[in-house]
Amino acid sequence: MDEMIEFLHDGPLSPIKKWGTKWSIWPTHLVTACCGVELAHAFASGYDGERLGVLNFGMARQTNCIVVEGAITRKMARILKMTYEQMPDPKFVIVMGVCGIKGGLFWNGYHMVKPFEVVPVKYFAPGCPPTPESLLRCFRALQDEIVTGEAKNTIAYPRVRLKSEGKKKRPKKVPPSPKYVALNPSVVVDVPRDRKWEEGMEYRQRISEILGEVAERITVTGKYRIHVRVSRDKFVDAARMLRDAGFDHVKSVNIVDVPKNKKFIVEYQVSSYLNPEFIRLILTLFTEIDREEATFPSLVDVWPSADYLERELHDLFGVWFEGNPWMGKPFLLAPDTPKNPLRKDFRLQEEVYIGGEDK
Amino acid sequence: MADTASLVSILLDRILSIFVDEMINIPLINPIVERLMEIPFVNVIVAFILWKPIFHVLILPGLLGMTLALLFIIYFERKITARVQWRVGPKEVSRRTGGVIQALADGMRYLFQEVIVHRDANAFYFLQFPLISFLPVLLPLMFIPAGGTYGIKTIYTIPAALALISLIPVFIVAMGWASNSKFAYIGSVREAFMYFAYEIPFLLAVVAMIVLYQTPDPFEIVAKQWILGAVMNPIAFLAFFITVLIATSRLPFDIPEADQEVAFGPYVEYSGIIFGLVMMLPYEKLYLLSMLSVILFFGGWNGPEIAILGDLAPVIYLYIKTILFMCVVSLARSIYARYRLDQSLRLGWGVVLSLSMIALFISAGWAAWLRL
Repeated sequence: MDEMIEFLHDGPLSPIKKWGTKWSIWPTHLVTACCGVELAHAFASGYDGERLGVLNFGMARQTNCIVVEGAITRKMARILKMTYEQMPDPKFVIVMGVCGIKGGLFWNGYHMVKPFEVVPVKYFAPGCPPTPESLLRCFRALQDEIVTGEAKNTIAYPRVRLKSEGKKKRPKKVPPSPKYVALNPSVVVDVPRDRKWEEGMEYRQRISEILGEVAERITVTGKYRIHVRVSRDKFVDAARMLRDAGFDHVKSVNIVDVPKNKKFIVEYQVSSYLNPEFIRLILTLFTEIDREEATFPSLVDVWPSADYLERELHDLFGVWFEGNPWMGKPFLLAPDTPKNPLRKDFRLQEEVYIGGEDK
Repeated sequence: MADTASLVSILLDRILSIFVDEMINIPLINPIVERLMEIPFVNVIVAFILWKPIFHVLILPGLLGMTLALLFIIYFERKITARVQWRVGPKEVSRRTGGVIQALADGMRYLFQEVIVHRDANAFYFLQFPLISFLPVLLPLMFIPAGGTYGIKTIYTIPAALALISLIPVFIVAMGWASNSKFAYIGSVREAFMYFAYEIPFLLAVVAMIVLYQTPDPFEIVAKQWILGAVMNPIAFLAFFITVLIATSRLPFDIPEADQEVAFGPYVEYSGIIFGLVMMLPYEKLYLLSMLSVILFFGGWNGPEIAILGDLAPVIYLYIKTILFMCVVSLARSIYARYRLDQSLRLGWGVVLSLSMIALFISAGWAAWLRL
């Protein structure tokens, strides 16, 4: 076995092998983000990657290259590894976009995995998204490396004697019931997790100095993450105080739907660009509101960046932000979409198939 | 010792005399052949290669010619698709010739790639079927004659070739079964559905032409075509053309191996050179059916005689016509979108079946009128 692989790598036929591999790189593409558009562009009429013999392919088994486009999350990392292991041996990985290098837009995200920790990457095409030229340049560099570089195996095969398990029928069993079932889990947003962050208490003290009596509870929930519980009536006041203290923008607005307790949890994640003290801190200001009469004072006057996020949540949850000029109109959704699609009691309309002619 | 030497020489002479009777006559290379025929042992080999059945099966319309035609048609298909989409297509591999050897590079890459046999597959059949499926591809070449050369000469060559060609989908279904994978299963079922949808109209269209010429012997069929068969019975040609598209999984009907839906269907688990072999199957089928359609509808090897090529001239005419037909068929890939399975089944069992029935009646009418 090893002699045959060595013969392939260095034998008299290896120039032919290298030539064939060079001119026939067929990348399968793992599209996870917007870089897929640039890949399509690189193979369309403008740039035409097929000139180089590079042919886009959908399947893994028949290809020898994989182009990872965009951010690899923890769930996708498993799929990337599976896809890579399905490919036959002379195989290469090219990563498009900054998301695959350091995380890019999602830098320091809790869900991010760097592709080079999962599979051996040959070339990176940096950019957000990279231009088609840079992707094609990756392919050219790969072609050069195939000819000049050293042939190596990507996998070392262990000798395994397979048992003849194909002939036995597996006994049919009902899957066992799960060991732990939590009935009606309670939704708690501010669970304290302050062990990993030593300066957490100082920040907490600083926030409580800013907010004073207004804050009901201040919790450190992670590194550079602080949750502040405020009552609904004092929410705008708390927001004004924070803005005056230097929190100058809203990063995100969330709503958590808790139908069991008949409440929404409204969260405003705020941070600062200008105040160097808070520049790494993400502070979450949250309160609970009634689910039946879902109205909430808008924070557009305090932070203009909350505007679009509030419109979106009005679309998806039906919460009325008093003071936001856009209320009552659809913002993201098409006019014929059913109302409040992200509420947990929302049910999709069942599709009904009618057989017969295409009429 | 002297006895054995004389025995061997007598034996060689016997073998030589079998071959020499039916050697292909090409005046262009005759001086070289004559010089080689004077050398013992070499003359047997030369006579064997130039023996008509071996020349037919191994060299010109046969294995070598088929390989060249397939390499060309894959390149042509990619290039014409690229031109239709305002692209350049494969080029850089050989800049001056516009990338003609692209398919060769792909083949070389497949040849040296790892062949993966996954654990769920039935490994014995999984590796066996791609190799055995060459039987129904190469055996019809024995039966389809090419004017100057032929493999087996009977009057039933066209039915025999058709019967062998009809075996190919069985192997494809078997490959999908041996792969033991979800997509392969779906692809096999689709292949089986399509097989039944096209096979009956296809056979009826061929039978219509046999009725028209009143003989299944290709030599007589070609001799009788002073008007092209496609002109005599255009309905039969239409039905034949559509069924060729379905049978070879060209794009409006490439439902079994639709790569966007079922990821190459029955071939999904194959990799390396085995995938190269199975991917050639539809193209080989296309080559055979194109040759058949040229014989039935486009005057076969008819053409002006070229003295210097001798017996080779009709073979070359047939070969060129076949490649032209294949080019027309592969153009369909860049023009049409894919049909759904139910749409193409309805087409096969409805429109094409009735077209081939009408073609049969037209042929019967022609035959009755011509006999009068």
